[in-house]
Amino acid sequence: MNIQDNYLKNKKNIFFSENEDIQNHREKLINIFENDRFDKKNNESIKNINLKNFIDFKYKYLIPEETSVINNNQDNNYSIVSVNGQCSNFKDDKIEITKILDEDYNDFSKNDTIENNDHFVNLNSLFLNSGFKIVIKKNNNIKIKISNIITDDDLTIFQKNNYICEEGSSLNLIEEYENKNNSTSNILNVIKLEKNSQLNHFLIQDNSPNHNLIITSHSSCKKDSTYTQKVYNFSEGYVRNFHYSELIEANSEADLQGIFFLKDNNTSNNKTFVKHLAEDCKSNQIYKGILNDRSKATYFSNTHVDQVAQRTEGYQLSKGILLSDNASYFSKPELKIYADDVKCSHGSTIGPIDENAIFYLRSRGMSKIAATKILISSFINEELSSIDNQQMSEIIQKKLVRYLSKVK
Amino acid sequence: MNSETLNTLDTYTKNKYKYGFVTDIDNEKPKKGLNEDTIKFISLKKNEPEWMLEWRLKAFSKWKKMKEPKWANLNFPEINYQDIYYYSAPKGFEKKPKDLSEVDPKLIETYNKLGIPLEEQKVLAGVAVDVVFDSVSVATTYKGELEKLGIIFCSIGEAIQKHPDLIKKYLGSVIPAGDHSFSALNSAVFTDGSFVYIPEGVKCPMELSTYFRINAENTGQFERTLIIADKGSYVSYLEGCTAPKRDDNQLHAANVELIALENAEIKYSTVQNWYPGDENGKGGIYNFVTKRGLCAGKNSKISWTQVETGSAITWKYPSCILKGENSIGEFYSVAITNNFQQADTGTKMTHIGKNTKSKIISKGISLGKSQNTYRGEVSFLRKADKARNYTQCDSLLVGNKCGAHTVPYIDSKNNTAVIEHEASTSKINEDQLYYCRQRGLSHEEAVSLIVNGFCKQVLQELPMEFAVEAQKLVSISLEGSVG
Repeated sequence: MNIQDNYLKNKKNIFFSENEDIQNHREKLINIFENDRFDKKNNESIKNINLKNFIDFKYKYLIPEETSVINNNQDNNYSIVSVNGQCSNFKDDKIEITKILDEDYNDFSKNDTIENNDHFVNLNSLFLNSGFKIVIKKNNNIKIKISNIITDDDLTIFQKNNYICEEGSSLNLIEEYENKNNSTSNILNVIKLEKNSQLNHFLIQDNSPNHNLIITSHSSCKKDSTYTQKVYNFSEGYVRNFHYSELIEANSEADLQGIFFLKDNNTSNNKTFVKHLAEDCKSNQIYKGILNDRSKATYFSNTHVDQVAQRTEGYQLSKGILLSDNASYFSKPELKIYADDVKCSHGSTIGPIDENAIFYLRSRGMSKIAATKILISSFINEELSSIDNQQMSEIIQKKLVRYLSKVK
Repeated sequence: MNSETLNTLDTYTKNKYKYGFVTDIDNEKPKKGLNEDTIKFISLKKNEPEWMLEWRLKAFSKWKKMKEPKWANLNFPEINYQDIYYYSAPKGFEKKPKDLSEVDPKLIETYNKLGIPLEEQKVLAGVAVDVVFDSVSVATTYKGELEKLGIIFCSIGEAIQKHPDLIKKYLGSVIPAGDHSFSALNSAVFTDGSFVYIPEGVKCPMELSTYFRINAENTGQFERTLIIADKGSYVSYLEGCTAPKRDDNQLHAANVELIALENAEIKYSTVQNWYPGDENGKGGIYNFVTKRGLCAGKNSKISWTQVETGSAITWKYPSCILKGENSIGEFYSVAITNNFQQADTGTKMTHIGKNTKSKIISKGISLGKSQNTYRGEVSFLRKADKARNYTQCDSLLVGNKCGAHTVPYIDSKNNTAVIEHEASTSKINEDQLYYCRQRGLSHEEAVSLIVNGFCKQVLQELPMEFAVEAQKLVSISLEGSVG
């Protein structure tokens, strides 16, 4: 079934299908699909993807029976359970949670940072069936933990979330994706940071082999705001992490980091993109990956510095360890610079575990496997030790131990 | 930025092309446009055997079905292939002159203006020069001495006549005609270029050198160079270019193929200084070059060094296919863009064999309103055990209207291969400038010194004869600053 038929057939289940503007936008998207030749070599969004599964999918969505839970344990701690991408409304003097609205959709569709041939984002806009909007009110400092739960097999979740941090607010956001059924989640997070706000965003991904997770985020930072994102991907199923950041006002900062652990036949596609549109901004893009068995990964990183963005500092680092003969890693760290007073750099390495280091440890009486495990742990230690949340640090340590136990 | 810096930038950007002049020689041309008749005309003019014509026509039929590659970060109007002369030979050159006295004196004068007098080079530098003026080789010097060693150094046209076996075996073996549209175009209409064969165990005692020069207006020049280094041999080859000033855009699509067999080494150096267009971005050469080397045998080595200062558009990726075990590929590049120049250049290292090594050093300098892109691919295939790559690409920005871009593609399919890549982008350090000024250098001299220091890692890879010229070119590109 082609995309258009699929859309028309399921139209009644899809958000905002009555809205005329959105309808027009979606027609354009359908056109893009119909005219695209799906050039795997040049289109970053479909590299390493099985095209047939991706275009020919069976749309299925269930509105959750039980409404999601919002808990206000203590003063500033909230815990949210989102079921099939939906969340019930909530309001107090610090935060407000609502369903996503058509104006949010329209607002985002005007942004052109994400390429219009990113087919997964286009699919998300076309088949949108869930999502929520969280507003953090002025000058509040809060913590939110979101657990994403999918109730049935074979569901296709197309979810758009909006996060807005108002002036002077600070948010610590932990998102957990731990699904055991064979569904597909396609999530787009749109994040807005107002003046002097701060967002620490953690994403813990640990899905079973048949679950596909496609997660895309777009953050925009205003004056003096800081966005920090850390992705921990332990999933055994396909995961796509594409994260875009725009620094639109002076003195803002974006920090996009990630670690992925792959094994068996798993694939993971990663991308980070930072667009410097104002002066005195800073950015950091760091991704590390460990690939075992027949796993495959790609990492695209891109720093774009506009002509007005003087005194920019933009750094990129990508590191990969291949543990097996059949693993493969592709990385493409790009710099596009149109201003002259900048400090930008990138570094990229791919290789095996250092043999000399293994030799050193073995000469101290350690077995080869133990030595390998120690070296993997130390490879990512910097990222793990920087987690200041005790509870989260323990969760991640546990997952790391589980991954290492399979390394031979 | 202070006003002095702005003044200096002004002088850089207004720098005129020194070598802009045209020699009046009657040109013999076929009709404009590209079709089978054009190709037959070229083949006939060059007295080519039947199989060569067939090879060309096959490439042409492939070209007709192909589109230009679009991935480069370049912006230029569509090329009208039917508005170009594909063959232009100075009259009376069908019978080649036996020595320099028979060469058109005007032609000799042209080279004198460029500072490469044949006579002088012959005597002083000990360099054999195979000069291409438009499309026909003018004179080949030092042939005798090379012949004694069994080295073949001649124009590709001559090689087709005299060494058909080698041509049949190797031509198109590294760059297949159907590789992409520019290689197909070149294969169909190439007119001249050099052919070098170094026999087994011979170390070529001198630097082989060719000066290419585009002269007639609207004539695309399509050279084809083929260098074969047999087992255990060594050759260093120099290629340098300057072109006269023109307002119409000129198309250039060269193919260069290198083949290094067991234990052989090829060093290929280029200084490219074609007309880059004027300060408003009008005119200039469109330079679409495919250069590829194959390290076919064990322990072979191919090294590319390039200094790119000219051309309105540069599209050039000298690459190495590292097939033989322990083979080595190197790429050293300096690319300077000024005014409205656009350069998209880099390399491709494909590691196939075990223990293969590659090294990439690229320095990009952007001035004026130019765009300078490094684009490189390093890939380790499944069997490239213990392969190693090191890549460094640095960019320097002078002025706030230019752009510097870095687009590396890194692909590893082998878990014993090690790959390292690093890049940085910055402007000229104010502290360094201040230090130089303090020691009595003028602002321009200081900039030139710093830029030369920035490029040194690459320039020192050039052979002696070339290093001087390259340094001059770097200075000329920053003109106003150094004498």
